[in-house]
Amino acid sequence: MFDIENSQGWPMPVLDDLNRPLFDGMKEGKVMVQKCDDCGTWLAPSAFICEACGSENVPWVEASGKGELYTYVVYHRAYAPEFESMVPYNVALIELEEGPRLLANIIGIDNKDLKIGMALKPVFREVAPGLPLLHFEPA
Amino acid sequence: MAKTEAMSAIVGLGMSDLSREYTHTSWQLAVIAIHRAIKDAGLNKDDIDGLLINKSPVASLSSLPMDLQDYAGLKDLRLNNVVEAEGSSGVQMVQQATMAVQSGLASTIVCVFADAPIQPGISTQTAFGMPLPLMGKTGIEAPTALYGPVAAYGLGARRYMHKYGYTEDHLGAVAVSQRQWALKSPLAMMKKPLTMEDHHNSPYVVEPFHLFDCSFPVNGAVAVIVTSAERAKDMPTPPVYVHGMGQGHRGVTNRRGFEPEVNVGAKLAGERAFEMAGVTPADIDVAEFYDAFSYCTLLQLELYGFVPEGGAGEFVADGQIAPGGSFPTNTGGGQLSGYYLQGGTPLSEGVMQTRGNSGERQVKNDLVLSAAYGGRMQFHACMITSPHYTL
Repeated sequence: MFDIENSQGWPMPVLDDLNRPLFDGMKEGKVMVQKCDDCGTWLAPSAFICEACGSENVPWVEASGKGELYTYVVYHRAYAPEFESMVPYNVALIELEEGPRLLANIIGIDNKDLKIGMALKPVFREVAPGLPLLHFEPA
Repeated sequence: MAKTEAMSAIVGLGMSDLSREYTHTSWQLAVIAIHRAIKDAGLNKDDIDGLLINKSPVASLSSLPMDLQDYAGLKDLRLNNVVEAEGSSGVQMVQQATMAVQSGLASTIVCVFADAPIQPGISTQTAFGMPLPLMGKTGIEAPTALYGPVAAYGLGARRYMHKYGYTEDHLGAVAVSQRQWALKSPLAMMKKPLTMEDHHNSPYVVEPFHLFDCSFPVNGAVAVIVTSAERAKDMPTPPVYVHGMGQGHRGVTNRRGFEPEVNVGAKLAGERAFEMAGVTPADIDVAEFYDAFSYCTLLQLELYGFVPEGGAGEFVADGQIAPGGSFPTNTGGGQLSGYYLQGGTPLSEGVMQTRGNSGERQVKNDLVLSAAYGGRMQFHACMITSPHYTL
């Protein structure tokens, strides 16, 4: 389980023009992905073009946020000092109902109870000042 | 079986000493391996007219630079290049050397991998433990605390296990089988027998991986010398004839309908190599895989067609890849129990098995598949070798 209060700071995402809307969306409580304007394919961030049809028109759109657990791992050791207090913690790939998969941590559940296919909903937690990071919890 | 003649041959193998302690830089290890390979082939360094270099994707460019030519004292080269296809480069070097020999660009090419991840004050966990660009360009890995390759592969393993109902017993069976091979190999780092209980009792690193599901990185280098198949007949070492090669890079698509963790490019690579050699998977006697984590052996056994998809777990649990089994696999202990030198691991063991002088661990070797991959099993390259000039 995450213990944000006891963590020693947090690694921040490296923002650029391609991924900024994802993190800007988190500040407004939105799950942002991309969708091809030409062929309609939903795309996981951050897409420069539509990998299905090659279109350059891949605007950001808000997803419902509903999804299911696609796969996950549970860390039993910390690869950086700031994560030591959180071990054991999970990292997961969540498949949104629109199709794209996002990387996030799942909270509100014991790691032993995680199951591929379980229904999840988004929740935003401030892991560092200015970073209300997208997490998921059981729906 | 259709008659095919060899495309090229590996006529020299050189390895530095392998170590868990820092003794030399990467380029020094490379120089040692290059000259041992030249000596092994009965050649003089001035016979070498091509150099292909493979560094670790997480090492700096300067650790194994183009200056390696001069560090090794190689003159008047007609080919000199860094092959950068991550972990698949070990086998890709032999593929590129084969094409260079066939085209006439160069005649006698040394291919070298070297790495020194263990440095004073730097453990292997630190060396390999940075955030991985799993999702491409989002930069979201670091804030979700996704650091290191163990978890990136663990996500793939969990999905793969879910798909076929595999358990930690199936992962453990890979580790146990490969350890049995390691006990027969003088080069292997892991020297104690391993039981399923030992595997399960070893600590989790990143679940589903226990410690013994993870490879054992060392500092070291592997060099091979590639020349024409015709010339190899007159060389002092038993020729390792290259009969087929292939690559497979399927791309990673992170959305519904795609399963990039399971449908990796090994299948594409194998199909082309088998076709080129005029053989089928059933003809192959032994396989040497890049097995950074235990489940990678299971997945490659399936995608290269040695067992049906979903059948590797039971096959391995039944002891079929272990000594005495029907399909010897990773006969030097692989990267789990032998030594992790990226593509250098399957390359070196594949050469030794094809030569037929691997002592206690030698198996039937008419056709040997050596396969390497890079990224999180994204980039695949394989080759089929044989002691026979004609198949």
